[in-house]
Amino acid sequence: MSSKREITISPTTRIEGHGKVTITLDEAGNVSNAYFYATEIRGFDYFLRGMEADRLPFIISRICGVCSTAHIIASVEAIESIYHTEITETARKLRELLLMGQTISNHSLVIYFLTLPDFYFPIEEDPSKRNIFQIMRERPDIGRKAITLRSFGARILDVIGKREVHIFSVIPGGLISPLQERERVGLLQEAENALAVAKEALTLGKELFEKNWNDFKKAGDYKTYYMALTRNDALEFYNSKIRVINPEGTTTSEFAAQDYMEFLEEKRYAWTYAKFAYLKALGWPEGIVQVGSTARMNVNATATTEIANRELQEFKKKFGSPAHATLLFDYARLIDLIYACEKAQELLTDKNLTRTDTRVKVEPKGGIGVGVVEAPRGTLAHEYTLTEEGKLEQMKLVIPTQINNEAINLNVKDAATEFIHNGEIKPGLLNRIEMVIRAYDPCIKCATRQANGRVQVEIRNSRGKLLKTL
Amino acid sequence: MYSPTFVDLKEVPNVDLAIVEGGVRTKEDENLIREVRAKSRILVALGICATHGGITSLGNIFSLRKLLEKEYSLVEKTQLPELEDLMYSICNFVDVDYYIPGCPPMPFLIVHTLKSIVSGKQPLRHQSVVCTECHRKIIPAKLDRLYGIYEKESDPQLCLVSQGFVCLGSLTREGCGAPCPRAGFTCFGCRGPPDSMMYRSRDMYAFLIRVIASRTGIAPETVKEELYRNPFIFHTFIFSKFERSKAREKVI
Repeated sequence: MSSKREITISPTTRIEGHGKVTITLDEAGNVSNAYFYATEIRGFDYFLRGMEADRLPFIISRICGVCSTAHIIASVEAIESIYHTEITETARKLRELLLMGQTISNHSLVIYFLTLPDFYFPIEEDPSKRNIFQIMRERPDIGRKAITLRSFGARILDVIGKREVHIFSVIPGGLISPLQERERVGLLQEAENALAVAKEALTLGKELFEKNWNDFKKAGDYKTYYMALTRNDALEFYNSKIRVINPEGTTTSEFAAQDYMEFLEEKRYAWTYAKFAYLKALGWPEGIVQVGSTARMNVNATATTEIANRELQEFKKKFGSPAHATLLFDYARLIDLIYACEKAQELLTDKNLTRTDTRVKVEPKGGIGVGVVEAPRGTLAHEYTLTEEGKLEQMKLVIPTQINNEAINLNVKDAATEFIHNGEIKPGLLNRIEMVIRAYDPCIKCATRQANGRVQVEIRNSRGKLLKTL
Repeated sequence: MYSPTFVDLKEVPNVDLAIVEGGVRTKEDENLIREVRAKSRILVALGICATHGGITSLGNIFSLRKLLEKEYSLVEKTQLPELEDLMYSICNFVDVDYYIPGCPPMPFLIVHTLKSIVSGKQPLRHQSVVCTECHRKIIPAKLDRLYGIYEKESDPQLCLVSQGFVCLGSLTREGCGAPCPRAGFTCFGCRGPPDSMMYRSRDMYAFLIRVIASRTGIAPETVKEELYRNPFIFHTFIFSKFERSKAREKVI
C-alpha cells in the first residue's frame, strides 16, 4: 500500500449547497493538496437559452432560495439596461429596501443557524449537539431573537416582494405595485424592534469573537484583492459603482456595472463543477479577488448609517484596513446586518416611499446588458444577450461563491496543514475546515446553478485510494 | 436528525419522518434518496423540485449531459458524482407518502401536513385549481392578441386570462391561496397539475388553449400557435419526469 493518503469530509455541513473536501497526503503523511469542491450541477446557463426576457427574472431567481431577491433584481437590472429603461426614484428605493430585507433574512440565518454553533460551543463538543437547536434548548432567548430578525427580513420581502421566498414584484420598468401607507407604518414598527435585536446580536458576536480571537486569527490570512459596490466611499448594496482595491488597500479600478465583464474572467478546473472568477487584467493566480462582508468593509471608508459607521471604524482600527483574516467575514457580517436594519428603518421613515409611481413603460429591444447588485455573499452580476425578438441568446452569471472559490481552497489547505503532521490527524480538523468554508458562506447552488444542500471531507493516498471519510 | 444545512451529523439515521427537498440530478443524489427511503417510515417530498422536477427540469429540454460534456470536458469522472441522463423528481426512484409541491411551498401547508401526520390523521388535500382561490372575475373578453406580463398594467378585478395574459391558474393545483394572481402576476404553475389532470392522461395544452380562447375571444388556432412558440410557459407540466399515476391521492 502506498504511504500517500487522502482525507474526505463529506458532506460539509451547515453551508448552502452540496460540497465536499478532499485532502491529499504525501509519502511522509503531510498535506500535499486540498480541494473544496462542488458536487452538483444544474446548468441554468444552458437551458434558459431561448426563453423570453419577460419570464427570465422570476425563473432565474429560482437558482437559489436563499438569495433569490438579489438574483431577481440583478436580472431585471440587466434587462432594463438593454431596454434603456430609467426607473423612478420610488422604485429604486423599494428595490433597495428589498435588498436590505434579503440581507437581514440571509445574515440572520447565517449568523444564528450556520456559524453561531462554531463560536458558541467548544471545538470538542459532540457534533450532534453543535447546532442551533441545542443553543435554543440552552438559551431560548437567542432562538427567539434569531426568529425576530429573520421574520423582519421575511416581512419586507413578503409585503413588497409579495412572497417571502422567490419574490416576483420586481419587473422590468419598476415594481408591480406601490407600497400602502399602512404597510409602511407596520414595517417601520418592526424595523425598530429588529434593530434592537441586531444590536444584541452584535454584542454577543463581538463577545464570542473576542474570546476566541487568538484561535481564530490562525485560521487563514490571505492578502488578496477585494471588490465591492461603493458610493462616495460609503457602503452600498444597490445601483452604484464597483471598486477593486489591492491587498494594500489602494483602489486599482472603479467601473460601472456595464463594464463588469471586461474586468472579470472565469476559469475551470477538472475537479469541480464550480468555476473560478478572477480579475482579468492581473491574470491567474495574481488576480484572485475576494467579495462579501469583509470585502465590503475593506473597500469602503464609511457607512451612511450611524451605528454601522461606528462599528466599521472600530473594525478597521482593530483589524486594519484592509483586514485579511478569514474568520473576519463572520464579524463583518454583523456590521452588514446592523447596516441593513438601519438602512431599512431610514428608507421606511421616508413618506415618499408610498408614492404610486413605481412603474414605467418599457420598450423591449435586443442587445447586451449587465445588472450588478451586492448580494449577501458579495458582488453578483448577470449579463444577458437578447435577440431582437426579446429572447435570451446567451447569459453569463458571475456569482460571489465563484469569485471566492480560490480563496476558500487556499484556506482549506491551510487549515489541513495546521492539523495534519506526519500522517497524524489532530482532532478538530473537520470543524476547522468547515469553519473557514462557512466564513465565506458559500452558496454552491448558485455557483453551479444546482439544487439541494450539503459538503463531504475525503482523505486519499497518492494513488487516489480512499482512506478515510470524515 | 440528518440535515446537512443545519446539523453536523454526516450519516443518515433511521427516522420516523423524512422531509426531502430537491430533485435527482446525479447518481449520488439517487443513492442518497434510496438510502433515505429505506431508513424512514414516512417520506414527504417538499417543494416542486422534489415532487415534480421544478425549474431544474427545464434542463430536460435537451440533453444537458451532452452540453456539459463539451463545456465540462475537463471534469474528471472519478472525482465528481456522475450525472443522470435527465433531471428526475424523487418519485421516479422511491415511493413517496406525501407530496407538498410549490416554489416555494407554502409554510401553512407544511405545518398542516406535519401536524396531521404526527396526530395520525390524513392531511387535508387540495384537489382543485388556483382559480377557485383567486378573487378575480372571469368575464369573457374580445381581444386580438395575447400580452406579455410586463407589456401592460393589469386591471385589479378582472381575470388575468381575460386580459390576455397567459396565467396558468386554471391548470394548477390550489392550496397556495393564489398570491401571484392576487398581486397582479400570472400564475406559472408552481404547484403542478390538480387531481383532475392526474386521473386521465389529459392533454394540458389543449385544455389551456380552450380556457384561453374562451376567456379572451381569440381563435383557438391563434392561441395554439402562440403557445407552441413558447415551450417555457409550461415547464412544470411538460418537461418534468413526474409520475402522475404514483402521486394520486397523495398530493397535499
